[in-house]
Amino acid sequence: MNDIIRRDPRTEWIARNRLHPEHDAVLARMGGSTPAAKWMGPNGIIRRNPHAVGFIGPNGVRRIDRSGAQTANAGASARREAAAAPTRRQIRIETPAFYVAVVADMPGGRLSAHDRDVLGLARQLADEDSAGQGAVLLVSFGESREDALGDAGVDRVVSFAGERFEGYAPEQRLTALGGVERQHEPRHWLFPDSSLGGAELGRRLAARLGERPATQVWQIANGECTGRGAAGATDVTRRLPRIVLALPECAEPVSESTHAAESIAPPAALPQALRRIEDLGAVAVDPSSVALAEAEFILSAGNGIRDWGGFHRAASVLGATEGASRVAVDNGFMPRHRQVGATGTWVTARVYLAVGISGAIQHLQGIQQCDKVIAINTDPGCDMVKRADLAVIADSSEVLAALVELVDGVKKEQRNAA
Amino acid sequence: MLDVVLPVLVLGALALALLGALRRIGLWRQGRPSPVSVLGGLAAMPRRYLVDLHDVVARDKVFANTHVATGGGFVAAAVLLILVHGFQLESRVLSWALIAASVVMFAGALRVAARRRNPPVRLSRGPWMRLPKSLFAFASGVFLVTLPTAGVVPASFGGWALAGVLTLVVAWGIAEMFLGMTWGGPMKHAFAGALHLAFHRRPERFGGGRSTGLKPLDLGNPEAPLGVGKPADFTWNQLLGFDACVQCGRCEAMCPAFAAGQPLNPKKLIQDMVVGMAGGTDAAYAGSPYPGKPVGEHGGDAHSAIVLRGGHEGGRALVDAETLWSCTTCRACVEECPMMIEHVDAIVDMRRHLTMEHGNTPNKGREVLENLATTDNPGGFDPASRMNWAADLDLPLMSARGSADVLLWMGDGAFDMRNQRTLRALVKILRAAKVDFAVLGNEELDSGDVARRLGDEATFQALAARNAATLAKYRFREIVTCDPHSFHVLKNEYGAFGASYTVSHHSTFISSLMEKGRLALGEWTGGRVTYHDPCYLGRYNGEYEAPRKALKGIGIKVVDMERSGFRSRCCGGGGGAPITDIPGKRRIPDMRMEEINATKADVVAVGCPQCTAMLEGVVGPRPEVLDIAELVAAQLVAAPAAAQRAKKDVAEEVAA
Amino acid sequence: MQRDGNRNVTGQERVKVAALVSVGRHPVTGRPRRAEYDARAVEIGLSLATGGNLHLAHAGECSPESEAALRAYLGMGIAGVDVLQQPAGADIVPALEAWLRELGPRLVLCGARGETGEASGLVPFLLAERLGWSLVCGLAAVESVDGDSMIVLQALPRGQRRRLKVRLPAVVTVDAAAQPARQSAFGPARRGGLQRLDTPVTPDGDAQSWTTAPARKRPKRLKIVKATSARDRFKAAAAKAEGGGGQVLTGVSAQAGAEAILKLLREEGVLR
Ligand SMILES: Cc1cc2nc3c(=O)[nH]c(=O)nc-3n(C[C@H](O)[C@H](O)[C@H](O)COP(=O)(O)OP(=O)(O)OC[C@H]3O[C@@H](n4cnc5c(N)ncnc54)[C@H](O)[C@@H]3O)c2cc1C
Ligand code: SF4
Ligand code: SF4
Repeated sequence: MNDIIRRDPRTEWIARNRLHPEHDAVLARMGGSTPAAKWMGPNGIIRRNPHAVGFIGPNGVRRIDRSGAQTANAGASARREAAAAPTRRQIRIETPAFYVAVVADMPGGRLSAHDRDVLGLARQLADEDSAGQGAVLLVSFGESREDALGDAGVDRVVSFAGERFEGYAPEQRLTALGGVERQHEPRHWLFPDSSLGGAELGRRLAARLGERPATQVWQIANGECTGRGAAGATDVTRRLPRIVLALPECAEPVSESTHAAESIAPPAALPQALRRIEDLGAVAVDPSSVALAEAEFILSAGNGIRDWGGFHRAASVLGATEGASRVAVDNGFMPRHRQVGATGTWVTARVYLAVGISGAIQHLQGIQQCDKVIAINTDPGCDMVKRADLAVIADSSEVLAALVELVDGVKKEQRNAA
Repeated sequence: MLDVVLPVLVLGALALALLGALRRIGLWRQGRPSPVSVLGGLAAMPRRYLVDLHDVVARDKVFANTHVATGGGFVAAAVLLILVHGFQLESRVLSWALIAASVVMFAGALRVAARRRNPPVRLSRGPWMRLPKSLFAFASGVFLVTLPTAGVVPASFGGWALAGVLTLVVAWGIAEMFLGMTWGGPMKHAFAGALHLAFHRRPERFGGGRSTGLKPLDLGNPEAPLGVGKPADFTWNQLLGFDACVQCGRCEAMCPAFAAGQPLNPKKLIQDMVVGMAGGTDAAYAGSPYPGKPVGEHGGDAHSAIVLRGGHEGGRALVDAETLWSCTTCRACVEECPMMIEHVDAIVDMRRHLTMEHGNTPNKGREVLENLATTDNPGGFDPASRMNWAADLDLPLMSARGSADVLLWMGDGAFDMRNQRTLRALVKILRAAKVDFAVLGNEELDSGDVARRLGDEATFQALAARNAATLAKYRFREIVTCDPHSFHVLKNEYGAFGASYTVSHHSTFISSLMEKGRLALGEWTGGRVTYHDPCYLGRYNGEYEAPRKALKGIGIKVVDMERSGFRSRCCGGGGGAPITDIPGKRRIPDMRMEEINATKADVVAVGCPQCTAMLEGVVGPRPEVLDIAELVAAQLVAAPAAAQRAKKDVAEEVAA
Repeated sequence: MQRDGNRNVTGQERVKVAALVSVGRHPVTGRPRRAEYDARAVEIGLSLATGGNLHLAHAGECSPESEAALRAYLGMGIAGVDVLQQPAGADIVPALEAWLRELGPRLVLCGARGETGEASGLVPFLLAERLGWSLVCGLAAVESVDGDSMIVLQALPRGQRRRLKVRLPAVVTVDAAAQPARQSAFGPARRGGLQRLDTPVTPDGDAQSWTTAPARKRPKRLKIVKATSARDRFKAAAAKAEGGGGQVLTGVSAQAGAEAILKLLREEGVLR
């Protein structure tokens, strides 16, 4: 190790200037030569080395950057592991006084944001009883690909895998929940009130157990819960029941602690459910032909499209549903049922990418409910650019071609990596 | 020989024609009752024909003269023929008169023939192409057979052979003219047309009057049909009216939907109604079809559905729904029709059935009608936000004032950012002129115009009743609005529900403010300006002058388009057409913009929020679209001396 | 796959279908109307059952306002609705259960949830459970029905579909993925009949202790910032301010523009 401190005033200045674009990069470079300022002790307590905090300022005075960012990256390479390790508390609950069961949607085997919120809520319920520490029991179906269940606040996991729980198998899953109910008698059952499955399974369980659930719940406090009623028009507040179907953002997801997420064995003998529903499999629906009203990501074409082949290619590469302005439809480039706007479809896409569309009021009416609007247009003054969250002022054909190239490139990389 | 054959021929034809007439009347009487004054109507008929109808025909001078000669000649010849040859009245005078009449008619027939040589596309072919020949046959036949009676040639002139030939010629002529009149040839128009004029469902239209408001449905009576589902659901005088059509195609030539290639042709529609009334198919129709719909596939009868439920899947009936939904209710056809047929009434009647019985208003129709029923505006906006646009204007509310000189009717444009600019301009003008005005604010509801024209009479009547109840609470001298659709409905259609008001379009009101010198205005210095007449202001209400006067008041010399005034072409925005949005080859506003461009105007002045929206929806580059109120408001100058003087007048007026 | 206007359901001649309908509430004005999802359920029913084989029931009050809303279902071309008269605050499930047992339909169509009251969407589940019938959620369309089973399409997110074979009798729920309901026409709405039936009333005891208030606005969650340091907090705040107004990239290359777009698409998770 070289002890001579070589000063680079510019670097130091950048390191102090949190707003400098190179700030992060400089810190990372500097970090390699300073001792770790902070690490986790053996009992999970954060320890600090006061001497390692900060850096030597330009006139030889030690300066402390309170932001912590500088020191978070600090540490000799040997200690970097420790420094980068989670700052979360490790928690293990040996003998829970009770369980709070969460049946997560886990689309694609991973926790959704909604799942995490519900787990956060479960955590709250498990921890708040002064009479005894509860544990959060995650019930998951299918193969889990989530490797950080503990970070989401899960103490125990029961997973039901196997063919009979695959696809649409609410009856089988319900029997499984019945097994968990008998085995663990959870104090609460929490479900995400989502169309991915939680809404349905939660209500099925409630009907099966004869428990009246609270639905569309968005707040739990003081033993009471508040949920939306009347299609979102009212708030219904009641005593917290056993079964709760909660909305997204019903609670903050767990972020401070890591839990054991221990697997426990599923109930041994589940009764065979009567199979009244047979899943015949997914029906392939090409994203470009999804009904506009249901589409989540729309690539929409207007009068500013020069290269229609390029547009369709972009839609298929991006996996977007195609939309159009009325002019594009009138000119015969797009079918009528693809028209977005006052006289076309009112869309609710999460992302609406408008290419060469000027943003006439009749068109904008149709995209009122879109979350994010992106515009590609040559005219920076047009109304679509004003409406857009992100606008790229450039030729439509070129940007679309560049997009296709980028996405194709990434896909190839992934394939090579796999 | 002729003196034996001719009476038989003439009187026989007359008898057959009478029979035909009875049958025809039977067809009309399949329709529902409609009270008319029979004697009064018949008495008024000649005047209606000679004055009102002729006024319309005279727009085409050459043809008007042709028609006078042919028609006049024929009527005279026919009467004389019956006397001279039918009843064998021996009178030289009558015979000479008959010869003269046949000559006049012949001259007219020459012109008819000339027109038919290379007929404009709007004219129907088929039997109409043989009409000039039939006219010749009649005129020349009658001329020749009358020569002996008049003593010009001896009775035995030409012998048997010539007499035989002459008989055939006269028979042809008489068949076309007498039998065709009642059994259904081109001449039917004369018989049906005359009676149609006598028993017209809108007698107010004659003698320079105007009657454009739709007739209400009786919703209180559960037995009354909701609109027209089969031809027999029309009233009998509507059926009679259809029979009067001469297939001149003037309506077709004016129809914006037809021009845009939408599947509507008002002439064909009327002919289809005739087919429906008598039973059969449209195969014999020899005019322009509905664009995109071949002739010969449709047919029906008086008691079967005009439009099939559920679209084309179940085959075809008399007309397809999209034909009826293509209409913008611009009344250009009605304005132009020499037979004074009421196309728009018929179309709306049939739409009523589609909406209120089939529940099948195309495209956004369902949504708009549901919005009107649940939010009182077509856009589904929160009715409590109707006044949001004027949050900073501090507009006086009727609910607080109770009375005002002028009630400013905002219309649904209050929800539309573009029209809010017009409304602001109008408010600025009213304030500059110190007009004592107030608005209903959130108490105002949609006027019901769109609902009614989409055939939803129930929603219209509900809105009308509620609006009328609100208006009844307040005292005001007149209603002023910048929306010609609300204007028309308030002025002409609320009356049937016992609510009548003095209503002015803002252009009328502004021009009267100008006349009274209550506005201090600068001079327009911008470029060329043309003016687009809104249908609901112009043809519906006859207001062509006030907007031009208002523009003149700020020094604008309007460069008129080729189609302007009563011949203005619709922007495509009326009758709910933008909502039902039936595809054609092109868009009506695009065509209108071409006409605007042809004037090389920099600005097109408009007086209607619909027109503004439609014309601004045309892809640029195009002239700027500005409402009259905006143009005038931009010229307002801080009150100079003239306005000060005017102010005193106002004070006096208010005091008075 | 053709989804619009696909009404050719095969083999449906003699299925008896029931649809449960409620009085909805317009989201903006709060006026009574036909409930959106219930109407879609009726729409599916109309595509299935022709000629009087579709039976509608409403459990609840029959006041003048609710009557107008119920007539909106009639306006879809339905001859009558059985109104199981239940006062406000009653548990309607027993009444509906009894009605269904008596009617014995093969298929019961329900909107995914109501628009008034608790609107928990629980009724179909309770009915299916008590009657011991199959239950399917999120029905998009019925493809075919035969003797004792039917083939249906179930809606999945992003417009995707799944095909299911379901044993009859079944209760299904319908939501926004199903075809919109047809227009309600004045004529049939006026002619149709509302048959008021007296049914035993079971009070809903639980609900008595609830408090119901107009929905409060939920605070929008800020981007989760583990505000462990001032710097992070600052960064988060700065990022938010930037996200508020639209970002306009002028004078950038097509590549740079495409990258910016791609970044946003990834953030929103719409790329697959
Ligand atoms: C009653 C009514 C209803 C209507 N309903 C609808 C509706 O439902 N939906 C609808 O869309 N419209 C509707 N319209 C039409 C609407 O008013 C506009 O005319 C239309 O939306 C314009 O379409 P556009 O933006 O594609 O075309 P334009 O207005 O011509 O815009 C083209 C845009 O492309 C940009 N551009 C040009 N070249 C390029 C390039 N090489 N690269 C990138 N950008 C380029 C231009 O800067 C411009 O902004 C309606 C109009 C009316 C009157
Ligand atoms: S409806 Fe009138 S304008 Fe049209 S063709 Fe017939 S007579 Fe002529
Ligand atoms: S009212 Fe206008 S659009 Fe309708 S048929 Fe007549 S001319 Fe055509």
